[in-house]
Amino acid sequence: MNLIISPVILYLLSAFLIALLWKEYEKLSGIACLSFSILSLISVILLGKYVFLNERIVYYVGGWEIPIGITLMVDALSYIFLFVLNFILPLICWFSLSYMEKYTKAGYFYVLFSLISAGLNGILISMDFFNIYVFLEISSIASYILVAFGLRTEELEASLKYTILGFIGSTIILIAIGLIFGKTGTLNIADFTYIAKNINEIQLWFIIGFFISGFALKTALFPFHFWLPDAHSLAPSPVSAILSGLFIKVTGFYLLLRIITNIFTMFPESKIIILGLGLISMIFGSLMALDQTDIKRTYAYSSISQIGYCALALGIGGYYGYLGAILHFIFHSFSKSLLFLNSGAIEYRYKTTKIDELKGLQDKMPYTTMTASSGMLSISGVPPFGCFWSKIIIIISAIKAHYFGIAFICVVVSIITLGYFLKLQRNIFYSKDEFKTINEVNYNLLMPMIILSILISLSGLIFLPNLKIYIDKAVNVMENFKYAQIMEK
Amino acid sequence: MIIFIAIAIMFFVGIYGMMVKKNIIKMIIGLNIVGYAVNLFFIALGYKEDGIAPIIIPGMEIKEFVEKSVNPLPQALVLTSIVIDLSVICFLAALSIRIYEKYGSFDLEKIRRLKG
Amino acid sequence: MNKGMSEIVKTISKIVTPFVIIFGISVIFYGHLTPGGGFPGGVIISACFVLLLLAYGKEKVLLKLSLYKSDILHNLGAIMFLSVALIGFLGGVFFLNIFDKGKLFSLWSGGNLLFSNISIGLKVGTSLFLGIVLLSMARVVYKENKIEFFEKEEDIK
Repeated sequence: MNLIISPVILYLLSAFLIALLWKEYEKLSGIACLSFSILSLISVILLGKYVFLNERIVYYVGGWEIPIGITLMVDALSYIFLFVLNFILPLICWFSLSYMEKYTKAGYFYVLFSLISAGLNGILISMDFFNIYVFLEISSIASYILVAFGLRTEELEASLKYTILGFIGSTIILIAIGLIFGKTGTLNIADFTYIAKNINEIQLWFIIGFFISGFALKTALFPFHFWLPDAHSLAPSPVSAILSGLFIKVTGFYLLLRIITNIFTMFPESKIIILGLGLISMIFGSLMALDQTDIKRTYAYSSISQIGYCALALGIGGYYGYLGAILHFIFHSFSKSLLFLNSGAIEYRYKTTKIDELKGLQDKMPYTTMTASSGMLSISGVPPFGCFWSKIIIIISAIKAHYFGIAFICVVVSIITLGYFLKLQRNIFYSKDEFKTINEVNYNLLMPMIILSILISLSGLIFLPNLKIYIDKAVNVMENFKYAQIMEK
Repeated sequence: MIIFIAIAIMFFVGIYGMMVKKNIIKMIIGLNIVGYAVNLFFIALGYKEDGIAPIIIPGMEIKEFVEKSVNPLPQALVLTSIVIDLSVICFLAALSIRIYEKYGSFDLEKIRRLKG
Repeated sequence: MNKGMSEIVKTISKIVTPFVIIFGISVIFYGHLTPGGGFPGGVIISACFVLLLLAYGKEKVLLKLSLYKSDILHNLGAIMFLSVALIGFLGGVFFLNIFDKGKLFSLWSGGNLLFSNISIGLKVGTSLFLGIVLLSMARVVYKENKIEFFEKEEDIK
């Protein structure tokens, strides 16, 4: 089943070939990166048939068996993440073809873009603690550099802060991996799950504590959030779309989900910690987003709030909780990528993202206004847009688990979200301004936004009933993880 | 056991350097110390008393070799982790040069412009 | 004009250099039999160029190994390593060691380990050299109580 590793190979090949041959030619390197990302999307689509027929695909790198070699695995859960990731990346690459014109040395942007994508794909397919760490670091280092890509003063400072905190997070994860190796003598997840089922000791609490704090730092849950607004708001807009829409979810949320629900199944209490962290960051992020003077900073705080919803649903657990977590991941990835691309389109014309300096975009950039409205309404949970369905499922799950207070807070935070987005809309889009003459952005910038906007508008009504069978399989993986059975043979 | 205590002390010295010091270069040095502490932790996990290097030389019995040699896996992992630390530090050095270019200083008190 | 360090340093580093490079190459090639491998060997080779950089100044070193050349070489190293992994597809699996294993304790005894060591050595040696040279190019000069920042554009080409 060689298709499983093809996204990583394609993106690595794209990075090194662009760095070797085409980095002087900016258009050519962009087109090369786009074509490699489309190839990767095709390979992921072809992979889907095998995943859902066989429940999971296990791949031994170099032909080495489980305790010795590196094992790769794709099941329904990681396939959904893989599909969303590989669907959004070509659109972001398409957007950057025009957006990156104003930067010098844009060839290096595509090299780093390919590296970050290879790292994210690698995290999703690997089933080995150290391999996950290596891919995590590949994508993290590429993202540190991409935040500082514009070389403006604030960007350098944001990148410095992000690098220091990201390094601390990775170090904490590495210590947890070292403790696992010292305790059990294995790094393979299947082997570890098989061994750890029978031991229930205080040392494992240390390991899971390190893991939760490390991944909470990567996900930007409440006490560890302070690097996110700077890094995500000051990076170039396609980079913000990757970081906010995909990066924090794959490196933080997906791995947290695996660790909590699949690997350390003997500690169901750890879900309470995640629930608490998610609840606090949900409230805090939305309150902070109310009082911002920059569009991208508002979006960044909104990301903290929405990733809080995902963590909350994960903490509540049960069928509806897991379903809500996965659906909210999918729809929030689409919507937040759309919104950051949108802010990039505004920045492309107006050269600024300050709320005070933008007025009357409704007449000047009608398509941008429409796509922005659909993204904002989706995140605020207005039917029939995407995030409405995920939020209502999260609220149902809270009620089913008798957390009535949490269900009420979910509704209130959703209303606050609608509040700050309506404030943005009234100030920026639906206001009058006769002085500036500004045209709609070009085709390359517009098409990715329109595709994403159509998807989040229709997905809830049209695609969700058809896709529910696949998402149910992913939820099944979260409820009982049978991967360790391959050790019994 | 004493080596693990030493590693913990080293780790917290590095964290102190990263968190408390106001100079970017001192922060980078603290980051380096944290990285080395974790690397040493991995090496200490594979340590065996009176162990030999995990390399077969001609005329050595396989059974004796397996009994005596230290675990080679942590050493391979540390090599990877050293490369990662190296690249982060190299990037931070380049970043601090750029920051010096803009602000004329390595002092974090002077370059703090973002609200947080 | 006399750039670089004193005559003693220059002479000694000139004598030492070829031995260091040969030692580095031997560490790379015997990586699967002795302590060492692609990464340490690459570091040794790049350290030799850094020694030349310190002794003679960067203009002389860039004549030997220009930035353009080392940029190409380090990307080539990465692609070589990826293709060593891709050769495994001929046997059906990624990273499969399909080469003949040879006799133990001879140079040809690890299959694709030799090729991966060479490519890692190439990548590490040149990219470490590249990093140090690029960091050394930026320099800050005090001029009339004002700080100025120099980065020579012609050096990069």
